[in-house]
Amino acid sequence: MNDGAWKVTIAKDLEDLIPTFLRNRNKELDTLRAALSAADFEQLRQLGHRMKGVGISYGFDQVSAIGKSIEEGARRGDRASLEASVKQYGDYLAKVQVTYE
Amino acid sequence: MSDLAAAGVMADAAAAFRVLVVDDDPDMADYLARLLTKEGMAADTVPNGEAAIARIAVAPPDLVLLDVMLPGADGFAVCERLKSQPTSAMIPIVLVTALEDTESRVRGIHAGADDFLSKPVRREELIARVKTLRRLHETRRELEARRLGAEIQHKETLRKAFARYVSPRLAERIISELAEDGAPFRREPQRVSVVALFADLRGFTRLTETTSVAEVVGMLNEYFQAITDAAYRHEGTIFSMAGDSLLVGFNVPFPQADAAQRACRTARDMVEGFAPVLQKWIGRGGPSTGVGIGIASGEAILGNVGSAHYMSHTIIGDAVNTAARLMQMARAGEVLIARPVYEAAPGIFPAERMAPRGGLALRGKSEATEVCSIRI
Repeated sequence: MNDGAWKVTIAKDLEDLIPTFLRNRNKELDTLRAALSAADFEQLRQLGHRMKGVGISYGFDQVSAIGKSIEEGARRGDRASLEASVKQYGDYLAKVQVTYE
Repeated sequence: MSDLAAAGVMADAAAAFRVLVVDDDPDMADYLARLLTKEGMAADTVPNGEAAIARIAVAPPDLVLLDVMLPGADGFAVCERLKSQPTSAMIPIVLVTALEDTESRVRGIHAGADDFLSKPVRREELIARVKTLRRLHETRRELEARRLGAEIQHKETLRKAFARYVSPRLAERIISELAEDGAPFRREPQRVSVVALFADLRGFTRLTETTSVAEVVGMLNEYFQAITDAAYRHEGTIFSMAGDSLLVGFNVPFPQADAAQRACRTARDMVEGFAPVLQKWIGRGGPSTGVGIGIASGEAILGNVGSAHYMSHTIIGDAVNTAARLMQMARAGEVLIARPVYEAAPGIFPAERMAPRGGLALRGKSEATEVCSIRI
């Protein structure tokens, strides 16, 4: 993916909510990694489901897309797919750049 | 505040539209609350169903946005519970479900949900759905306020109409105790302790024989105006008005610890209130007459007497009969009071105006009745 893929434009009226939103996503990433280590697929499914709902709502479509793949991977018990999705999520959160309009 | 004003306040309250957001994801809850607040609504958030039920019990919102996947009781269970309780059944509930989750929507319909919102939540869709429900909600509240206003107006009309025929307090009671089918006086007859006062116009029969019909009615109205004013002033309940006689009860249907004093003051005011009316009649060549009054106390039965065609809510019993007999014996301007009533109302009449009449044998009574005569 190129750098442009991590640039996100968010509605101005949500600006003050975004720092908390991103902090919570990073905590979520830690929880995902712990659940993956423990092979807790039910927790992974629930976390993926939550990401899917909240991401696009705020304007972070990629969070929802990764969340969907985590939810589906957890349903299948597909560890390899889950590892890839969690890594992708970590990369995304590390590089995402937010602008407001 | 009057009932009508209260109904107006209810309608005004619709302006402050309050939404409760129930979501265990704080980011989603904050997001929904922010969008609603931007639209001028008041939004509050809680993280689970139990907290939602507790909050709604103390501060019912105008709408609930309820996530389906909640820790503990899920959205369906919370929705069902809220819809099963009369205090929250009318609050619109929007269930927030996954877009593809048709099964959840069917369950939501069974649980009583009013609408659905899909996650991810699109700003435009959220606002459109909430605004639609808000309009419906406000229309319903407006209709309810109008219905309430019409009901109050109807009761006010009834009260005014009744108050022309019974005492204002009894009218209030009739209205407040109207059964759902509008039938009054559903209470069973009850035994009550009363002070009964009977008043009539001495020589009225002769008056009707020598005076034109129109004139008699006008004179009767003047007479009744004076004596009913006195009855209402002392909060007596008028139970019957027949010909020129009036039956007033005290301590019934509402307790009056000073019922004897009220009855005696009423008798005094009836005679004094009628005096100017009588002077006017005499001035234009009318008859010399006056009010005769009998007062007695004792037990009576309060209830509905009559038939399916005509019903009277009245008091019957020994006290009423005794008061009637005393009234028949009283001369114009005289009040005959059974001694127990007189003794229970010291100081109402100047002592020099009281003359003991001793024990009188009244028709229908085996024992003599001790009576005091008051000339006013």
